[in-house]
Amino acid sequence: MSQTFHLQADVSIRRGHVRRRDFLKAIPAAALAAGALSWQDAMIASAADLRRQGKACILLWMQGGPSQFETFSPLPGHANGGETKAIKTAVSGIEISENLPETAKAMEDLCLIRSMTSKEGSHPRASYLMHTGYLPTATVKYPTLGSIVAKEIGDVTSELPSFVRIGINRFGDGAGLLGVDYDPFMVQRAGSPPANTALTTTEPRYQRRLNLLPRLETEFANAGGKQEVSDHQKVYAQAAKMITSPKMATFDLSKESQKARDAYGNEEFGQGCLLARRLIEAGVTFVEVNLGNWDTHRDNFNASRTLCGKLDQPLATLIADLKQRGLLDSTLIVWTGEFGRTPRINPNSGRDHYPRAFNAALAGGGVKGGQVIGQLDAGGESVKDRPVGVADLFRTICHGLSINASKENMSSIGRPIKIVDGGEVVKEVFG
Amino acid sequence: MKRGWNFQAAGCVFALAMMTVSTLASEPAEVAAQADKQLRTEVPFANTTKTSPGRVGDEIFLRRISLDLVGRVPTPEQIVAFVLDPSPNKRDKAVQKLLADSHYGENWGRYWRDVIMYRKTEERAQLIAGPLEDYLVKSMNENKPWSQIATDFITALGSAEDNGAVGLIMAQQGQPEEVTAEVSRIFLGVQIQCAQCHNHPTDRWKREQFHELAAFFPRVSSQIRLMQGQPPETKVVANDEQRGPMFRRPMMMRRIGTPEHYMPDLKDPQSRGTLMTPVFFATGQKVPLGTKDADRRGTLAKWMTATDNPYFAKAFVNRMWSELCGEGFYEPVDDMGPDRHATAPQTLDYLSGQFAASGYDVKWLLRTIMATEMYQLPSAPRRGPEEPAFQAAVAQRLRADQLFDNLLHVLEASEPAGFGGGRGGPYARAGGVRGQFSAAFGYDPSQRRDEIAGSIPQALAMMNAPNFNAAMRGTGRTMLARLLGEIKDDKGLVQELYLKTLAREPSQSEVTTCLLFVKQVGNRTEAFEDILWGLVNSTEFLHRS
Repeated sequence: MSQTFHLQADVSIRRGHVRRRDFLKAIPAAALAAGALSWQDAMIASAADLRRQGKACILLWMQGGPSQFETFSPLPGHANGGETKAIKTAVSGIEISENLPETAKAMEDLCLIRSMTSKEGSHPRASYLMHTGYLPTATVKYPTLGSIVAKEIGDVTSELPSFVRIGINRFGDGAGLLGVDYDPFMVQRAGSPPANTALTTTEPRYQRRLNLLPRLETEFANAGGKQEVSDHQKVYAQAAKMITSPKMATFDLSKESQKARDAYGNEEFGQGCLLARRLIEAGVTFVEVNLGNWDTHRDNFNASRTLCGKLDQPLATLIADLKQRGLLDSTLIVWTGEFGRTPRINPNSGRDHYPRAFNAALAGGGVKGGQVIGQLDAGGESVKDRPVGVADLFRTICHGLSINASKENMSSIGRPIKIVDGGEVVKEVFG
Repeated sequence: MKRGWNFQAAGCVFALAMMTVSTLASEPAEVAAQADKQLRTEVPFANTTKTSPGRVGDEIFLRRISLDLVGRVPTPEQIVAFVLDPSPNKRDKAVQKLLADSHYGENWGRYWRDVIMYRKTEERAQLIAGPLEDYLVKSMNENKPWSQIATDFITALGSAEDNGAVGLIMAQQGQPEEVTAEVSRIFLGVQIQCAQCHNHPTDRWKREQFHELAAFFPRVSSQIRLMQGQPPETKVVANDEQRGPMFRRPMMMRRIGTPEHYMPDLKDPQSRGTLMTPVFFATGQKVPLGTKDADRRGTLAKWMTATDNPYFAKAFVNRMWSELCGEGFYEPVDDMGPDRHATAPQTLDYLSGQFAASGYDVKWLLRTIMATEMYQLPSAPRRGPEEPAFQAAVAQRLRADQLFDNLLHVLEASEPAGFGGGRGGPYARAGGVRGQFSAAFGYDPSQRRDEIAGSIPQALAMMNAPNFNAAMRGTGRTMLARLLGEIKDDKGLVQELYLKTLAREPSQSEVTTCLLFVKQVGNRTEAFEDILWGLVNSTEFLHRS
């Protein structure tokens, strides 16, 4: 029921051959049939429901394919491990790379999956796969994780978008068949206002323009454009509400104390993590923060060390900060890239693409920390125990966010598409 | 766009005759009249009087054809000249004039670029969006027959730089299954790929038939090489040698083609599968195993574009009709069957037959559809599923490039140059201002138009984009500053701004609203800046109605 009304609350539900006008016409009947609330009431009630649920997700996306050996699965003493050493973590028996000393201290909250496995070794296809759970096809545009989550558990009453993506993502996955309402809202650089959200006039004059606009629309509405005008005005109202909302200050990191900003480090990714925390706190449901350049075909060890330097403190701070604010239990953090890197070190001291065995890490959102899932063989070449496929990971994320992964959405030619096709929840993740 | 339109009253008598007596008429008008007649036997007018609501006025007609053909609104001078032209065949003449304008090829070339690129499964294919667009723009302007364009795409070989038609194969990274799906979807309007993995639940195609079609493409591969400091190398190559892998597992990356296509064994995906002979499902024609790539694809192109293949002409007519009239005989436009049902199938058959007989002449078809009464009906909101079809034109949201060009055109601004500037299309983020604009406003043109929704980033771009707001100022070297100086009379300025942005005169109540607004604001420059902002942000500006 709440799902249905979430959909109806939307400006533009015309997927799967249900046209909006028919849908809107159908609402009063449906509400009557339900025997209770007006549509408006039901919508508000369901929104409150969703807010109570209050789950959120942060995806820390490592574009390029981070080396598992230099992050969460070091292999000291083996030729494949290279020069990277292991260090102890806060959890006895679990060691991670020396490149992540702060993260090591947060190990009690982290669940490492060392047995991620897929078959895709090309950046675009693997990025698509790890964002959508599907391989790209010409005829179905699968939605990216953030869009799925925004649609399923996003807060329709929020003035801020449900899905915010911070930093440049090279590959253009978006809401696909779910429609533009669930597309990521892009923030190119944490700390700067998002594109086109700054008013170009004073606020009173902006309001004056907004008041004039509908008065210029009546002629067109009367000449057969009623539906278009109504849709247009709804989107404009939403956009105007958003940019004039006090919540826009969420994007302004200068509102944070210097101490808080320093805790996240002064690199862009760290500031992105800080913004992610602020957004989640302000009611955003899904935030994706990008850290790129993990494609270490050359000079893997130095490059990975530098990248881990950008990752380590922000990740540890994010976990601690959410915990301190009481948000960690309801916020699932997912760390991953599109694949891992070859056990064999190439002649350029680099590692190449390796989807057969790689890492993901989860924290918060009911995840049982301080554990490792999966085991590799001695050389880190293949999964010896508990392989976790992409669909398994997606099912697990959905489970953590109380999303029914078997729910079907319709493609534009009326083909039902499951949120996740196949796979099983990795139950141990939740203890 | 500083063209003059010399509408002459010449040919009046002939034109009058054309409107009434079909025997004297030129072919498009004749076919259009017949199509209208056929359409009304299939879908009569359902209003209370059971009669046609008539054709739209000159202003709306001119805006409609201008947006549909050259992707931008007419200038005030063009509107005035057209409205005052007494010639009875001025509508057809205006259509022909626009068909001869080079913006026509640009507008439709970009449309087809989007049809292909919105379905790309290879992100790096964005690199060849430019050459693909160039090929299409040129082909459209030359009025290359649609059959020739299809043939160019199906048989494409070589580097993108030399041959933009490799774009379709490259967008699908040369994967035979994906290329097959796209060729069938775009040129035949048949989504046979649904039978790729299993027999299709609603269509009668069998899995074998899909893979028999894929068997025309196994020898092709797409190669993209990115080397630091050098331009990317992008090409489609064919492999007729018996070297390299003999087969590949499903979805495996392929760098070089294989001699034959195998249908994967669903129970054992790692095995070789079943060897497939190339067969064209629509006609049952086949080529033997071992046929060279050029013969395979060349033969397929010949069979696909032959007049005895009913799907080819219908797919194109259905798509163009849908773009121009707001609703297709089949929807979505690229999903025609065989077990889907058309609204007014005989009208589609008739027009498709005529289109094939014209030698797949694209400009002829556009001219014909634009001459129909159906095309020239007034707009109404999109009908509900229970309401009868084809009672009115339906407003269409402008495509990203059309909207962008209109903004530049109306505001008399020039396109900012820069890295990658001038290229739109999906995900063209790095491509300068147009690219950013496309990222926000672009949509897949094969999608049902009532599924395309406006978005918050779009509203924000229209309301607040700094470059467009700067161009809307009433001071400095802008269009508005010039008009504020030239036209001292407020009413005259309101009229001019309406003509410029919406290509029509304002109604009396609109004039009153605007004049009252100017008075309330008390600052002429500011007030007209606000009015211009309002017109550009209106629903009407974003739509072709």
